[in-house]
Amino acid sequence: MKYVILIHSNPQPWGHPTSDFLAEHQALSQEQRDAENAAFEALLTELSQNGELVGGEPLAAPSTAKLYRWDAGRPVVTDGPYSEAKEHFAGFFLVDVETQERAEAIAARLSGPGETVELRMSMSDGGDDQ
Amino acid sequence: MTVDELEDVWRRESPHVLGALLRRHGDYADCEDAAQEALAAAAEQWPTEGMPDNPRGWLVRVASRRLVDRVRSDRARAAREETVGTAQAADAFVAPPADEDTEPGDDALLLLLLCCHPTLSRPSQVALTLRAVSGLTTAAIATAFLVPEATMAQRLSRARTTLRATGARFEAPTVEELPTRVAAVLDVLYLVFNEGYARSSGDTLVETSLAEEAIHLTRQLHAYLPGHDEVAGALALMLLTDARRAARVDARGDLVPLAEQDRSLWDRRLLDEGVAILEEVLPRGPVGAYQLQAAIAAVHAEAPRSEDTDWAQIVVLYAMLDDVAPSPAVTLNRAVAIGMSTGPGAGLEALQPLLDDPAMDRYHRLHAVRAHLLELSGDVGAAEVAYARAAELTRSKPEQRYLARRLARLRKEGATRG
Repeated sequence: MKYVILIHSNPQPWGHPTSDFLAEHQALSQEQRDAENAAFEALLTELSQNGELVGGEPLAAPSTAKLYRWDAGRPVVTDGPYSEAKEHFAGFFLVDVETQERAEAIAARLSGPGETVELRMSMSDGGDDQ
Repeated sequence: MTVDELEDVWRRESPHVLGALLRRHGDYADCEDAAQEALAAAAEQWPTEGMPDNPRGWLVRVASRRLVDRVRSDRARAAREETVGTAQAADAFVAPPADEDTEPGDDALLLLLLCCHPTLSRPSQVALTLRAVSGLTTAAIATAFLVPEATMAQRLSRARTTLRATGARFEAPTVEELPTRVAAVLDVLYLVFNEGYARSSGDTLVETSLAEEAIHLTRQLHAYLPGHDEVAGALALMLLTDARRAARVDARGDLVPLAEQDRSLWDRRLLDEGVAILEEVLPRGPVGAYQLQAAIAAVHAEAPRSEDTDWAQIVVLYAMLDDVAPSPAVTLNRAVAIGMSTGPGAGLEALQPLLDDPAMDRYHRLHAVRAHLLELSGDVGAAEVAYARAAELTRSKPEQRYLARRLARLRKEGATRG
């Protein structure tokens, strides 16, 4: 079953890994930060080696976004960001796992101080006829 | 000799070539590498020199030589590090093994058991079975499971490493182990079948669908173990289900529920074969979960129209299934059957244990079934709420469209009634 794990964050200035640019992460002791970073790397290696990681991308700053809104029969373009929310869409991982529990465990391990991790099921073409 | 012809030969011979190597050298990863080298050599030589009279013997001979080279160079390296070598003389691999006192099916069966070894994760078991036993390429398996080739390559590589690390051997399980080992193979094959059958479109891999491949492998397993009733049951279940394939999706690609399917589109030949297998195996004794599910599919198959379905019989079969292999899905399907045979009120009552369980609240089929029974009972308001909840929870696009349409229709009828 495929899941998308969305990272909502607001690094200042915008940068990846987002944790390097988050006040909440910088407030941790150096040991804690090293441990968090090492755990993140270990998780990515684990997901990649066991064939659960399907893909993922870090995203550029929301201010560089182009927004297209339909107006009077044609698209009108403006510059980002998309919303004035506290956090912005910063990147995503696509995983293919056996169970919902496994997806939840991965999402929990991807979370860190100062950002929100959102776990969403992806839809499939399959279906039951009973 | 075309690429397609070579692929056909390889898909037929791959399990036998691998099996012949594995009987002499226990390491799966080494054997697969050697077999792949033999395939590459065949791709190079056969188009110009023609296919040998005995392609299996040729492939085994070439692969054996490559395996000997590999083991020798490993040993040379190991000798420098003063590691213990394996007990066998390297040349033992070269002897053509195809004429030994084993049945041709033995190797393929042992290979299937190895690929579904309990130390492997389910996705690894599935990937390895399609790679080693079906002879599919990594790219084809990746396409079938809608993941990038690199992801599938990692799953296969992980499976090989695990087999090596746990020392899983290419050998017959003990009598005590055999039932659980065969059960694991059946679960893997049924999962492959469902992956193919449940998909409404886009299910083609190298001219064969996953459902057909699963049926093919289960047929072989049935031929190796004709006395194994659950293997027969799983084969019957797949045939009886696959028979409905042409009727389960409409022209728009939307899902057609069993009750609304055009039964003239059902494949009579597959239905007859499934029923015949069941009639032979059911009287033999303790009836397992696959046989019971097949028996239920057979009751559906025997009804010329949906309204002719013998629901009372299906209720009995689900009660038996509930004894053998209880699960929320069985409780749910039993409630549907009770609703159809006795009435929606009785069906809703049978759902109660699931409704009382908070963990089931996210199970979309529970809400879909409850919505249907509520609609039948005339409680339109509650049915609408349940349809909306089911549509929100399902991860299947066709199911979501179907549920959303039912909901829209109820709301429209409600508006008309005013």
